[in-house]
Amino acid sequence: MNPQFRHPILPETTHDELARQNFVTSLKKHVFSLSAKNQGVYETRAKPRFEREHQRTPETRYEIQQAMKDEPYYRWVSALRRMGQELMWDSVLSSVERQLPELRERAKGVNQPLGSLTLNPDLLIPTYQQAVDIHCMPGSYHSDLSADDVAAGALYDRGVYLYVRGMLGPLNDDMGRSAVQNFLKREYPDFHPGHILDMGCTVGHSTLPYVEGYPEAVVHGIDIGASLLRYAHARAEALGKRVHFSQQNAEKTNFADESFDLVVSHILLHEIPVPALRNVLRESYRLLKPGGMMVHIEAPLYCHMDSYRAFAFDWETVNNNEPFWGAFRDLDLKAEAIKAGFEPDQVLETFAPNGAWLQAQGNGTPKSQEFGGRGTWFMLVAWK
Amino acid sequence: MKKKAKGKRPVYLQNPEEDQLLAIALALAGEVSVLRERLDTMEKIAQTKGLFTTAEIEAYQPSQQVEQEREQWRADYIARVLRVLQEDEG
Repeated sequence: MNPQFRHPILPETTHDELARQNFVTSLKKHVFSLSAKNQGVYETRAKPRFEREHQRTPETRYEIQQAMKDEPYYRWVSALRRMGQELMWDSVLSSVERQLPELRERAKGVNQPLGSLTLNPDLLIPTYQQAVDIHCMPGSYHSDLSADDVAAGALYDRGVYLYVRGMLGPLNDDMGRSAVQNFLKREYPDFHPGHILDMGCTVGHSTLPYVEGYPEAVVHGIDIGASLLRYAHARAEALGKRVHFSQQNAEKTNFADESFDLVVSHILLHEIPVPALRNVLRESYRLLKPGGMMVHIEAPLYCHMDSYRAFAFDWETVNNNEPFWGAFRDLDLKAEAIKAGFEPDQVLETFAPNGAWLQAQGNGTPKSQEFGGRGTWFMLVAWK
Repeated sequence: MKKKAKGKRPVYLQNPEEDQLLAIALALAGEVSVLRERLDTMEKIAQTKGLFTTAEIEAYQPSQQVEQEREQWRADYIARVLRVLQEDEG
């Protein structure tokens, strides 16, 4: 694994903390290779058994799940995956907790900021975000321990890097970077958005590439988590990028109608239930100027996969605290965008190559099996 | 900071206790790996500098303070390995 870029707000690691994180990364890699063998178990054991019992082949991911759930190999691999995820967060959490006072101080040390940070202590955290801690990150996105807390941000920044084993690049920014370089700049070279909004920006991993790609633009990032945003602000400033962060729910923001030329999100849509997703698409429409563009970046939907792959992908829903993952991937997003106000001929579902950070380094494209195996990001695109 | 993610942990093996045993074994494996990495660092540095020999390690007698530090370390270590049994829901 390539090292993460050590910006000044990134939590540091002692020798043992780093060794602990290294172990988790190696463990996850090994377990991932074990997971791939589940398909052989399905083909040689679970599927023939299902066929004997039902006189037909399993058709849906639910039937494959039914056929696989008692297979000892599948259960062991699932156990290892889940425990690996818990160990991963534990290896980061203990490190962040040790240096939390120092991280708070470092985050406060922003002088002459380029961008801004606007928090809203009265913002209601949606109940759907409080039901479980998403992807087993203790405290989830919204935890906020004190008026100057940055714990969730630090935990997320380092945790995501380990989770993807560095495959999003040294700044965890491949989604934004690939959207800008491999989609927007490539397909729409004459599109020069003056005002850009990143919804559900967390610590700004994907926000900053828009600042780099469109240096003249005013870039905003919103999220519900105050701790995430304090960290995001400090990180953006440390990296010399001008972003205006504010604590808002993407379902209903306080920006005026037609404020933006480009509204984007990165793996936000699968973290919210369908009614909230509909609100986010309606809000995207409201916020766009005529001629503006919306781009929501995601991993692929189930309609893009065969039933076995959908079953394998859907592991996350129950096993990794991703309650909205499966329901989201069953949606007809084009229809949802049209319902939100976009004209049918102005909506596009497409894929763009991932790995822009590697292309920039001249190292080709990464293997991205864990993101759906296509070497691409899925995008819901619409023009107003 | 909250130690455990809110949400139901599925049962993968025969019962929750077996899952906990697996978590403990994995945590132990992790700590062995951490230890191995630290030892390796020390041996690499010592070798570069010509600092100490294996015989010196065998002959080492820890002071009372060192013993106390080690005791504290072992307590932290055991807590880490047994994480899955003692984490609270809050």
